Amino acid sequence: MIALSFITGFFTVMAVISGSALLVLVYLDNRKVRIDDGIAQFRRHIDALSPEARRSSVHHNNSEDKWGR
Amino acid sequence: MARDLAIDLGTANTLVYMKGKGIVLNEPSVIAVNRQSGEVLATGHDAWDMIGRTPSYIVAVRPLRGGAITDFDITERMIRLLLQRVGVSRFTRPKVVICVPSAITEVERRAVTDATRRAGASDAQLIEQPMAAAIGANLPIDEPVGNMVIDIGGGTTETAVISLGGVVALEAIRVGSFDIDAAIQSYVRREHGVAIGERTAEEIKIQIGSAEPGPEDRSADIRGRDLVTGLPKTVRLTAEEVRFAIDEPVAAMVMSVKRCLAKAPPELAQDFLSRGMYLVGGGGMLRGLAKRIERETEVPVKMSPQPLEAVVLGAGHCIENYQALRGMFMGARR
Repeated sequence: MIALSFITGFFTVMAVISGSALLVLVYLDNRKVRIDDGIAQFRRHIDALSPEARRSSVHHNNSEDKWGR
Repeated sequence: MARDLAIDLGTANTLVYMKGKGIVLNEPSVIAVNRQSGEVLATGHDAWDMIGRTPSYIVAVRPLRGGAITDFDITERMIRLLLQRVGVSRFTRPKVVICVPSAITEVERRAVTDATRRAGASDAQLIEQPMAAAIGANLPIDEPVGNMVIDIGGGTTETAVISLGGVVALEAIRVGSFDIDAAIQSYVRREHGVAIGERTAEEIKIQIGSAEPGPEDRSADIRGRDLVTGLPKTVRLTAEEVRFAIDEPVAAMVMSVKRCLAKAPPELAQDFLSRGMYLVGGGGMLRGLAKRIERETEVPVKMSPQPLEAVVLGAGHCIENYQALRGMFMGARR
């Protein structure tokens, strides 16, 4: 009986430790992804403001007669 | 499926940019309404022609003052009509990016987004005018250098220092070119005893108004109503008189530019001396204004090649690159 409860307790503790370790790993992995996401997002933001990216829209200015002026 | 839109909802003019098409509408932010029935009678150029010339049952108004909504219902109806005119129907609800002054309050922001959503937009995002102006003026804001933009609109003057796609320093005041018109009206009333309308004041500003003396200084005859006799009267106004009349709002604009320069980090301040500041907006077209700012700040001032369209072109670029530039919208940074 004592041996059985010891084994159950041991496995419970092991399960808790493994679960916690897994959660920590998942958290660290997500954090890395978030940092990478931030860099990628900032890069996309800056790239979208480059003169090349703006060429199509800012230079897309229509002729004055289209506004009926 | 409606194409997404960018709207520069200015105190003076409203411009609409349609995704993939460019600027599709540019007209005064004026609406004429029948006071009795509440029916809209005209908008844009047609309504502008009516200002100060309507019978008592018609009112032609500018629903925005100082870049903010003063009449929510009328603004909503104006936006609804604008959307209809560019092809938005009840079943096609576009995403809309609207340019607003950075100086407006949280309540005023809510009013703009609510009015736009109720007018038929599926999503309404706000972008600060100086940021949109810097994008539209094609300044190299993607680089780690100081870009300074001065946007003088009908109701506001906004100066911003922008670097690496974000605002570093900002100064905004609710003084714009309509305050210059009001100063002219008030001067003519006080010094000549003649009442003139806001359209006449605007014409005087365009014809002979200036912020600095110049070779093209001349005088103009203006017509108004004599305050004593009540009869029509013509008076001659010189460029020097107009310069004196408008000095207060012009000085306020220059001071706000100086305050923004003072807020800029030293590393970026040195960039202004070599790169200069860029002037956009209709108010920036006042004769001699660039020269006066340059004289008082000792920093070169350059006029944007498209001063009236820069803001909407910048917002248009944001609608073309909606996902990548989401971070620029006012709500996204909170």
